[in-house]
Amino acid sequence: MLQKADYNAVFFVAAALIMFFIGGLLTTVAPPLLDQSWSKPFENADASKGPTGKLVQLNEQELKGRKIYVREGCWYCHTQQVRTILADTKRYGWRGVDAPVSTPDEFVYDSPHLFGTKRTGPDLARVGGKYNEQWHRAHFRNPADLVPGSIMPPFPWIADNEQEFKALTAYIQTLGRAKNWRPDNDYEK
Amino acid sequence: MQTEEVIKDAGEIPVASSAKSSESIHEDTTAKLFIISSITYFFIVGIVALIIAAKFVMPSFLGTVEYLTYGRMRPLHVNGMLFGWLLAADMGLMYYIVPRLCGVKLWSEKLGMATAALWNFIILGAVVSLVMGWNQGWEYAELPTFLDVCVVIAWIMFGANIFMTVANRKYNAMYVSLWYAMGTILWTAFVYLTGNFATLFTTGVNQANLNWMYVHNAVGLIFTPVGLAIAYYYIPKASNNPLYSHKLSMIGFWSLAFVYVWTGAHHMIHGPISQWLQTISIVFSVMLLIPVWAAVYNFITTMKGQWHQLRENIALKFLMSGVVFYLLTCFQGPMHSLRAVNAIVSKTDWIPGHAHMAVLGAFSFFAIAGCYHTVPLIFKTKLYSDALANWSFWLFLIGGLGFFVTLWLGGFWQGWQWNNPSIPFIDTVVALKPVWAVRLGSGFLMFGGIVAFAYNILATIIGTTGEQTATATA
Repeated sequence: MLQKADYNAVFFVAAALIMFFIGGLLTTVAPPLLDQSWSKPFENADASKGPTGKLVQLNEQELKGRKIYVREGCWYCHTQQVRTILADTKRYGWRGVDAPVSTPDEFVYDSPHLFGTKRTGPDLARVGGKYNEQWHRAHFRNPADLVPGSIMPPFPWIADNEQEFKALTAYIQTLGRAKNWRPDNDYEK
Repeated sequence: MQTEEVIKDAGEIPVASSAKSSESIHEDTTAKLFIISSITYFFIVGIVALIIAAKFVMPSFLGTVEYLTYGRMRPLHVNGMLFGWLLAADMGLMYYIVPRLCGVKLWSEKLGMATAALWNFIILGAVVSLVMGWNQGWEYAELPTFLDVCVVIAWIMFGANIFMTVANRKYNAMYVSLWYAMGTILWTAFVYLTGNFATLFTTGVNQANLNWMYVHNAVGLIFTPVGLAIAYYYIPKASNNPLYSHKLSMIGFWSLAFVYVWTGAHHMIHGPISQWLQTISIVFSVMLLIPVWAAVYNFITTMKGQWHQLRENIALKFLMSGVVFYLLTCFQGPMHSLRAVNAIVSKTDWIPGHAHMAVLGAFSFFAIAGCYHTVPLIFKTKLYSDALANWSFWLFLIGGLGFFVTLWLGGFWQGWQWNNPSIPFIDTVVALKPVWAVRLGSGFLMFGGIVAFAYNILATIIGTTGEQTATATA
């Protein structure tokens, strides 16, 4: 049937594009129409259904911090997704509480998305509120001072820039907080 | 004479009846420009590669200068290697192969030269943008929109030149390399638009899905088909043996066209994306074995009775090792997508080991083979040094294997450690330090390969111009 493509360039182009567009459209255009959770922001008031909370948009300072996070390529080494793997929920939990699994509705306002592909450092999906501002300041100045053996590079130009440091820290403290997952509300500031 | 040159079978590389006269119709200026600039970037970005590998061993190395921090050097390495070296070399080789398979001149050398100039502008713009931190935040699509628009324009210029050459072709039947060249141009156009423009209008998981569709198909529908176009052309050429099966190449091509695009979501297995979409991507990832094994079987059997040539023939050494790496990397890929395997290897250092085997081990090996075979032909001379070429091969092979194998072992180990939450994360970092040291050492070997390769090509080219001036003055 496709033998015609050996001799007819127009037929070839049409066939190559049709083959491509079947999968192309079904996997990019169709899924967001079929799964509403991709576009509906997280909101839950019923504790029996899991963690409660509401996804809110970032404020101006947090957005600025997010831009720094993108600019410095933090997302090349830190993912932002607690996967449906038991060890992920345990490892990224805090003070004996397991981290809830990340769901699409927590990321509705994210652009660029920062799910990431590589964990050279730990996942940051639930890092918000785990460490206070003072910890972050020392950590950005030289990570290995606080975490011996760390290979995260130092970021003196952020630690020394009060505005940028405050913005970045403010953004980091929002991560994972749409789901109010810590029973004692013991988030650090 | 005209009738002699019309071949009936698309399964053969057309050979012009009067090889000499038909070879002289080609100018190849565009091919030369693309190949020379690509090899230059291969060398420069090779240095960046060493810098980021060194940062894993010495985290503060060049770390206090914001322009040289890891988070800015890594995208420079990835974009520089993918677009500055590999894609530019592939395009240069297409400007050489396509006119020969069509039996006519390239449609427009002027347009080709303008494309080469624009491409160099894009790469230099990319260097500035990434060092300055003007990063859009999407993997493989870091470049600012302005440069994305330039890429689209350059791609249209490239596509117009290739398609017009095909439209003017003298041989009726189109050899399989031509399909892959045309497929690359068509699919890349849509894949690139999805990853760099459609993402601008979406957010969250929807955007991630488009981004992964692009990331995956940047390899699957850009570097794979253009790499296969090169392999399908140069394996029969370099071994002087006809392609084993036209039918098999058809199965490979059309299954690739259909299957590849479905697999983007396998980058988020176990992640926050619909389970059914993950399952679809897994099913199609496993089906990828069909186009891969069809192509690899075809390449291996084409070599039947010709394996002894591997001793001497530098292009074949790179081509056939590339075929083995292609087979391995495309066996890993489908296996990674299986949920049980993914739970161990995903997000670990295994993945760069896998990715480098694809773009360096398979597709860069094909492109290097193409350069070694083609550069002496288009400059009408002999390769400067066969011994140096042999050195480049062994440096790439040993360095590459050192890189791939240690990262697989280290990554697998890392994955097991992560799956035991009682091991603190930092312990899993410290455990990998020996692996990263070996990776840096392997990087030096590979960089030695780049230097040997680039110097050999440079000396080949300079040697000819030297001779020409010598004869001109005499």
